Amino acid sequence: MTLLKAEDITVADGATRILHPVSLYLDSGEPLVILGETGSGKSLLAQALMGTLPGELSARGRVAIGDRLLDAARPEGFRMLWGRDIAVLPQEPWLSLDPLMRADRQVSEAHRLVRGPGAAEARDRTADDFRRLDLTGAGQRYPHELSGGMAQRVAIAAARAGGARIVIADEPTKGLDAARRDGVADLLLAELSRGGGLLVITHDLALARRIGGRLIVLRDGQVVETGPTATVMAAPVQPYTRDLIAADPDNWPARKPVTGGATVLTATGLAAERGGARLFTGLSFDLGEGRIMGVTGPSGCGKSTLGDVMLGLVPAAAGRVEPAPALPRTAFQKLYQDPVAAFPRHRALGRTLADVARRHGQGQDRIGALLPRLGLAPVLLSRRPAAVSGGELQRLALLRLLLVRPKFIFADEPTSRLDPITQKQVIALLCDTSETEGCAVMLVSHDPALVSRTADHVLSLGPAPVDADVTPRDIAAALQ
Amino acid sequence: MTDAVMIPRATDHAVRWTGTLLVAAVLAFALLGPLAVPGDPFAQSLLKALAGPEAGAPLGYDHLGRSIFHRLAHALRLSPAIALAAVLTAGLAGLILGTLAAARGGWTDRVLVTLADALLALPGLLLVLIVLGIVPGTALGFWAGLSLVLWVEFFRLTRAATRDTLASPAVQASRLLGFGPAYVFRTHIWPEIALMMLTTAAFGTATAIMAIAALGFVHVGMRAPTPELGLMMVELLPYWREAPLALLSPVIATFALLLGLTLSAGSRTP
Repeated sequence: MTLLKAEDITVADGATRILHPVSLYLDSGEPLVILGETGSGKSLLAQALMGTLPGELSARGRVAIGDRLLDAARPEGFRMLWGRDIAVLPQEPWLSLDPLMRADRQVSEAHRLVRGPGAAEARDRTADDFRRLDLTGAGQRYPHELSGGMAQRVAIAAARAGGARIVIADEPTKGLDAARRDGVADLLLAELSRGGGLLVITHDLALARRIGGRLIVLRDGQVVETGPTATVMAAPVQPYTRDLIAADPDNWPARKPVTGGATVLTATGLAAERGGARLFTGLSFDLGEGRIMGVTGPSGCGKSTLGDVMLGLVPAAAGRVEPAPALPRTAFQKLYQDPVAAFPRHRALGRTLADVARRHGQGQDRIGALLPRLGLAPVLLSRRPAAVSGGELQRLALLRLLLVRPKFIFADEPTSRLDPITQKQVIALLCDTSETEGCAVMLVSHDPALVSRTADHVLSLGPAPVDADVTPRDIAAALQ
Repeated sequence: MTDAVMIPRATDHAVRWTGTLLVAAVLAFALLGPLAVPGDPFAQSLLKALAGPEAGAPLGYDHLGRSIFHRLAHALRLSPAIALAAVLTAGLAGLILGTLAAARGGWTDRVLVTLADALLALPGLLLVLIVLGIVPGTALGFWAGLSLVLWVEFFRLTRAATRDTLASPAVQASRLLGFGPAYVFRTHIWPEIALMMLTTAAFGTATAIMAIAALGFVHVGMRAPTPELGLMMVELLPYWREAPLALLSPVIATFALLLGLTLSAGSRTP
């Protein structure tokens, strides 16, 4: 049964079209995944289907939901469907819960206000929801007392309390690690099995694969490819889809391991604390020229702190970090997770780079020589950091480091905010830099696949730190 | 969303320009007026007491037969000059101490913050009065007292903004790349606080001019016969019925100057 059918949906910002005609349908029991990079228009499509586009954007097209026919150009017509026919699972659901309200009241309130049964019935339905979602006993807790996964289930219960048959999930796994991501996918599929339709919007290939169903690939507001998810994933037809799938770390070719190389940095019996709590103890490892060490572990386990200790930005609670003699302090550098925050924001990028070149006695021509090597256009130099895309800026950050001739780079989740294709480029450039400059790299990532394809040796932090020099594949297996 | 941001910005711009023009007009009157119509602000001619405007005195005469035009021009040079000197001193002191407190932290920070908080607890005018009692020379006393009052706001703003900036990855990156404190200040801190400092300076100047006028009005500021805005108002107040224009001149001039400064400062949160 078709729950939702949309024809020729377009979105325009004034006269510029930012989403070209897209038609889609959603059947009950079969999920639909819209896959695309940042800026591909996937979220706009979802907003046009719900009538929640920001005011300055205008949509066109026809949307049929159940037996109602709606005009996408008149978003106010969608209002009565919210909660009753369409439920939206918010991004980062734990932020959308009221922090001052107990979990069961948030859900029973939604029952009461959307469908309007009595308070007692709303409570009964809430209790049913909690039993079904395995939340028994969590009803009396406040959101901060819930684990991330529980908060997500509470948010789903609240979103579906109105009895909506269509669930739209916009980037439901934003900021989650691999294990949590699979949990969310399973939860969405479980909801789907109760009947109804599921529309998932994501840039995450692993999530798309796990959700299955049908797939629409979007790029620059245009549909690139459609088809059953499994078929498209296995045999993409369009070059862009092929690139996108090849950019998934799971599909990367493994890097040729590097052995030997002079030691750049030695850590002995390292321990660190944060707020009085021990993060890790007894870490000992060597970092050699041209070698990449992967660092993995759940969030909050001290990956970034380890980097700061290695760079001498934070004192170690115990143990020593010994750089190889005769290396200047500036040989130890860091690549940041958010490149925008790592540049002076009021200064044109070219000036910042020129300052660094001058400080380190390099000619301006070196910047010009490095630009094509990193695939960057010279025009970017006249812009400020905020006016450059994340991928380009991360490459400019790498360029800035190359001007210093580093011997050690601590890369703190350098690609976690980038799209898969850009991520692949940046990581490839980082590997390349490590090799050509003879530079030791410590690569932090929450993606075990990325680490296992890239690193020569892996350090896994966590409740019980695994020692270094375990082969990447074992670690990847252990993490999964 | 963009519209919602753009529209207030455009009016904000217009408001700032209006303010700047107003201040420029008042200062042009103070600096160029006496050149166009030469005259002496101190020369008395009791026969002309409270007389109306004439060619040599376009705004008429006060109760002692002195040209209000020239006294006003003189007053409008004195107060802004003292205020500007005080704001410059206070701004520089606030900038240096605020940056120092944010960069050093620890005891330096604690001592400076305690000092600033202690000064904040005293009413500003009272502090100026105390300093006026200690320092010889009224203009010098005003400069010292107003600087002492005004630096606190510059200090607090600089310290807060600098602390955030210094903790940012951008500054950490600059330091790792081998840049020293001077570069960090020039490229990271100054661009963040420059606009804020300008706004605060405009408000500070207005506050200082108002303080000088207020103390003059209650006869504890500038001494007669020095022409000063507050003093002129209180001197002419008893004759408001006979010579309304004489009283209104310093009132309007002060109002225009303060309004101009406040408008040019824009909103307190740039």
